[in-house]
Amino acid sequence: MCASVKYNIRGPALIPRMKTKHRIYYITLFSIVLLGLIATGMFQFWPHSIESSNDWNVEKRSVRDVPVVRLPADSPIPERGDLSCRMHTCFDVYRCGFNPKNKIKVYIYALKKYVDDFGVSVSNTISREYNELLMAISDSDYYTDDINRACLFVPSIDVLNQNTLRIKETAQALAQLSRWDRGSNHLLFNMLPGGPPDYNTALDVPRDRALLAGGGFSTWTYRQGYDVSIPVYSPLSAEVDLPEKGPGPRQYFLLSSQVGLHPEYREDLEALQVKHGESVLVLDKCTNLSEGVLSVRKRCHKHQVFDYPQVLQEATFCVVLRGARLGQAVLSDVLQAGCVPVVIADSYILPFSEVLDWKRASVVVPEEKMSDVYSILQSIPQRQIEEMQRQLFMEPARRENWSAANHQMNSLIWPREQRDSQIINDRIYPYAAISYEEWNDPPVVKWGSVSNPLFLPLIPPQSQGFTAIVLTYDRVESLFRVITEVSKVPSLSKLLVVWNNQNKNPPEDSLWPKIRVPLKVVRTAENKLSNRFFPYDEIETEAVLAIDDDIIMLTSDELQFGYEVWREFPDRLVGYPGRLHLWDHEMNKWKYESEWTNEVSMVLTGAAFYHKYFNYLYTYKMPGDIKNWVDAHMNCEDIAMNFLVANVTGKAVIKVTPRKKFKCPECTAIDGLSLDQTHMVERSECINKFASVFGTMPLKVVEHRADPVLYKDDFPEKLKSFPNIGSL
Amino acid sequence: MQSWRRRKSLWLALSASWLLLVLLGGFSLLRLALPPRPQPGASQGWPRWLDAELLQSFSQPRELPEDTASPPQAPHGGSCNWEACFDTSKCRGDGLKVFVYPAVGPISETHRRILASIEGSRFHTFSPAGACLLLLLSLDAQTGECSSMPLQWNRGRNHLVLRLYPAACPRTFQLGQAMVAEASPTVDSFRPGFDVALPFLPEAHPLRGGAPGQLRQHSPQPGVALLALEEERGGWRTADTGSSACPWDGRCEQDPGPGQTQHQETLPNATFCLISGHRPEAASRFLQALQAGCIPVLLSPRWELPFSEVIDWTKAAIVADERLPLQVLAALQEMSPARVLALRQQTQFLWDAYFSSVEKVIHTTLEVIQDRIFGTSAHPSLLWNSPPGALLALSTFSTSPQDFPFYHLQQGSRPEGRFSALIWVAPPGQPPLKLIQAVAGSQHCAQILVLWSNERPLPSRWPETAVPLTVIDGHRKVSDRFYPYSTIRTDAILSLDARSSLSTSEVDFAFLVWQSFPERMVGFLTLSHFWDEAHGGWGYTAERTNEFSMVLTTAAFYHRYYHTLFTHSLPKALRTLADEAPTCVDVLMNFIVAAVTKLPPIKVPYGKQRQEAAPLAPGGPGPRSKPQAPAPDCINQLAAAFGHMPLLSSCLRLDPVLFKDPVSVQRKKYRSLEKP
Repeated sequence: MCASVKYNIRGPALIPRMKTKHRIYYITLFSIVLLGLIATGMFQFWPHSIESSNDWNVEKRSVRDVPVVRLPADSPIPERGDLSCRMHTCFDVYRCGFNPKNKIKVYIYALKKYVDDFGVSVSNTISREYNELLMAISDSDYYTDDINRACLFVPSIDVLNQNTLRIKETAQALAQLSRWDRGSNHLLFNMLPGGPPDYNTALDVPRDRALLAGGGFSTWTYRQGYDVSIPVYSPLSAEVDLPEKGPGPRQYFLLSSQVGLHPEYREDLEALQVKHGESVLVLDKCTNLSEGVLSVRKRCHKHQVFDYPQVLQEATFCVVLRGARLGQAVLSDVLQAGCVPVVIADSYILPFSEVLDWKRASVVVPEEKMSDVYSILQSIPQRQIEEMQRQLFMEPARRENWSAANHQMNSLIWPREQRDSQIINDRIYPYAAISYEEWNDPPVVKWGSVSNPLFLPLIPPQSQGFTAIVLTYDRVESLFRVITEVSKVPSLSKLLVVWNNQNKNPPEDSLWPKIRVPLKVVRTAENKLSNRFFPYDEIETEAVLAIDDDIIMLTSDELQFGYEVWREFPDRLVGYPGRLHLWDHEMNKWKYESEWTNEVSMVLTGAAFYHKYFNYLYTYKMPGDIKNWVDAHMNCEDIAMNFLVANVTGKAVIKVTPRKKFKCPECTAIDGLSLDQTHMVERSECINKFASVFGTMPLKVVEHRADPVLYKDDFPEKLKSFPNIGSL
Repeated sequence: MQSWRRRKSLWLALSASWLLLVLLGGFSLLRLALPPRPQPGASQGWPRWLDAELLQSFSQPRELPEDTASPPQAPHGGSCNWEACFDTSKCRGDGLKVFVYPAVGPISETHRRILASIEGSRFHTFSPAGACLLLLLSLDAQTGECSSMPLQWNRGRNHLVLRLYPAACPRTFQLGQAMVAEASPTVDSFRPGFDVALPFLPEAHPLRGGAPGQLRQHSPQPGVALLALEEERGGWRTADTGSSACPWDGRCEQDPGPGQTQHQETLPNATFCLISGHRPEAASRFLQALQAGCIPVLLSPRWELPFSEVIDWTKAAIVADERLPLQVLAALQEMSPARVLALRQQTQFLWDAYFSSVEKVIHTTLEVIQDRIFGTSAHPSLLWNSPPGALLALSTFSTSPQDFPFYHLQQGSRPEGRFSALIWVAPPGQPPLKLIQAVAGSQHCAQILVLWSNERPLPSRWPETAVPLTVIDGHRKVSDRFYPYSTIRTDAILSLDARSSLSTSEVDFAFLVWQSFPERMVGFLTLSHFWDEAHGGWGYTAERTNEFSMVLTTAAFYHRYYHTLFTHSLPKALRTLADEAPTCVDVLMNFIVAAVTKLPPIKVPYGKQRQEAAPLAPGGPGPRSKPQAPAPDCINQLAAAFGHMPLLSSCLRLDPVLFKDPVSVQRKKYRSLEKP
């Protein structure tokens, strides 16, 4: 439709006849109209094509209008929860099919109102929180509206609070869901389990094989690897926005804010307060509040009134004591306030304990040690306390991350249903699981830290040898000399020539030097510098020697020693001439330095040993456009490699032997001073460019180089392992 | 006129288009003007209720206070968890103290050695009353080593029943409240946080030191099989995953493809090892895979992975659903090289750290229980899951990873820029005035500690130094030198003998090098070990050779953590050995550091001339021409005690960048290092 309109207006008959002055004006005008048309047209298509008119009605619906389902008194009841359930026994993984994105699909049953034979409703239709929770699932990537594609089913029957529902009838309602099938793959959310007098720690509704995301699990009811422990939602935390508070000492050392405490516990806490005075604050309900003040938002100590939950921010540690139930809503308040929770609830399964490392953000104290709690907390070093506070901080940070993807999340203190889905997702697709660090490490740690890909201390056996990769274009004579020289190195196990010239064929087989190791020639499709760092299948050793086709001055001892040094530092670049980066204070940028200084931060890859994994990283994981940039400029591939390795390992290069330059003594100085200077400028530019792409300067400066143990020692030369170690 | 007409037609066109616009877009605009409505995607999803605002909360705020507590629950019938069944009040003081029930009647050699190993450890106590954990070894039913109910049983409270081997004793008595540490328990009987899951040890498992890991290189060899499958009779074979759709499913294997190599191996040689089936076979395969550095792919294991309480197995193994074979295979084939690399190394690290010997398994078990008792001062997860592992990173030293020498990279921290010099003054006891001046001259020196370890009275006057000087009156024992004195406040220690002689620039350069290698020892003079064919044992020499494996601690930088390790984790017998044969202490210290780092020490240059006359050689003041033959037994005793030879050789020395180069002296920062 848009297209036809467009054509009419911009009819070829009209525009060409106009004067240029007007023409511009009209064209502008038309374009605006056009844009307007397209825009409205878009709107026309957009919402309408997705929203059927039927939905328009759905939107208007009220919760009171949902269909009513009558449950006969004799309709089937599911069996009680099966405590032996595990993922591989009770979860029907076939329903999850194979999803290339390794994401499970979640279906939500439509909302119904259940009544018994007498028309009395079974429970409240739906609570505000459960509605928000379902809304969040429905907006997430996990959601599907196709019941046949779903692998996880979420009933819309609200069982968050067991006290508000009739147990038998709710179970019957569950059993008649269309895909119930003994409850497998069904996920129930419950926060307040059990009821008086014995308060079970898991939902009492018979649910057969259904998974339970429950608040307040104990070790006895929790099915490890099957159920998910979730925090009990606190309505207060959602209402109140607390400012973030950094790590550091607070006014109170220990604070207790719960009101419905068992008298025994309260006695214990008050005894602590008497003993330690000001640093302990035990709060209780306020008795003498004036009218109109929300009692839930106030706490009192004697006659002093405190705002709740704000007062939590004034304490380093906050007590989270069990009540009749193990899961306490106060935990959410305490976490939001950035107070380190002291959990005193024996056998309580902390929320998301399967993936969150609570040791880093909380203190768990056995109930019988309640009276020692103060001394236990005192024994924690201040630094560790600050680390815990920082860890708590991370919770809000992650919360924002999650909620950025989902606006509805803001109202919930935890992105709980997403986490649940993620945990269950990890169980189904464990090989795509999120790692411990991703769940637990604060962003601060991630920033400065590196995780070395070659972290295992290991000295590879000498017998493995190394593969020499010679990048060449057309200097055949020089290439042959390099091949002959390198082949003298005892540990060489293979020689790979990368023929980078597409216009010329490599010399015939018979012309190549005869050497004792296999020699392979790889022809490239394009003359690119990055071909030197391609992870060729032909590389069979871990150690790679990158060498230019004009490096003929390195002695066999020098190369063999380089390989031995690499074996001791397999995660580093081991090279000969060293170079340095410097901060130019005048120009306010980095500068490349090839002077013979006392420091080294890079080695030239004209001849350097490194692990072949770095070839993979260079080719496939180089950040930003560095790789293309290098190929376009035909320069700085060595600097890029130095950056890459230093960035991923956090370690400095190893320069070996006194070698300072690659220019052979007999070569005449063709490249004069001016060429040298443009070279320096270009190289400096590379450093600045790479530093900005990496977002940091990863290179590490050191003042040492590696020499043979007896280098230049007063010792008979013939007894030295590497007597001919070369010169500058 | 014409232009007007033209303009008219233009206006016509314009208004027509505007009309169109209003017609087409009006409704949408109208709808936009309406109150905000849900965004796309909501259509088929969860509806936005009109009266959502009116919905009630699942728990009314006033309802919460009603939730008053009932008295603490008693443990559910018979079932135990940590809080209910373990009495931590007995465990005050310095951590876990373990009492082991002595064996009744004749015992096997293994049993005796296990007992000896526990008795030699830092956990052991001889008094059952002072112990917080009572250990009951339940070893082998066949040899009749089953114990009857022990004396202090007390319904099993604070007891750990250790069943190392599968053929364990039948339960002759009720376990009651005792914890059970057994090999790969089923998930149904395992009580998380209470019981301990052990690995399934083969009968011939080495007692200490351990079977070395088989991993020789970080990344898988090109062309190595992707997947190894278990054979009957305990071998492995590699599978051709290219053609077969379900390589581990018996039905598909009727036509073995040409690429399928059939050969028996005791240890698998592949990137991944598929482990299905039930314990105990699967569990013993699992351990083999770890040793071989083959990433275990566990198909729906129904048994608890060993030490799952502390070890993050997601970093070393893949747990997959046996019902999705194709997905698993695809996932393995597509796994990124980075992930494969990390998993591979982790399997090997875990093997070496916790599984390679019976002793390590027992110590890990005790460490797990100690961590439960310690609560907040337990090992952080990082210490358990990255080298060198929690057995070698003592949580009694610190719980902050950056205090250790091993985790600076992961933590984004760096070692402190200053060191403490610890000068040991042995008889005859001359105050090392020159040495103090040279060391104090270093800009990195934070303090000097003099460990006065001889009979002569302390001199009253010490030289004036820029840094604080503290004198410690030692106990005349060599092991004093490696005591973790609380006065040492820096990460780095420069350990010196009063007779050493060093220049300030030597100290400066060595310290700079140490900062790059904070987990290693950086020294000036070296020893090297060798296998003596003639005597069939290890030997070591102070002669100058092309390689070295130890540095003398009479002049060396190292992290202060090694003092803690030396004093608190070494078996007492080894410290005694060092006290009795002082030349042995250098070897011992090098053994410790090498066992932890699995790397050789680092040598830095040392003034040549003085080296000739240096009294730094082991054994003290003897002239260099007559090198004191170091007691060869020392190194063999240590190798026996460690269970293996941890020392590694290095063929390099770290020199200043311009060391002895024919360039202008003016350029050189450490020119005094080159002076003859």
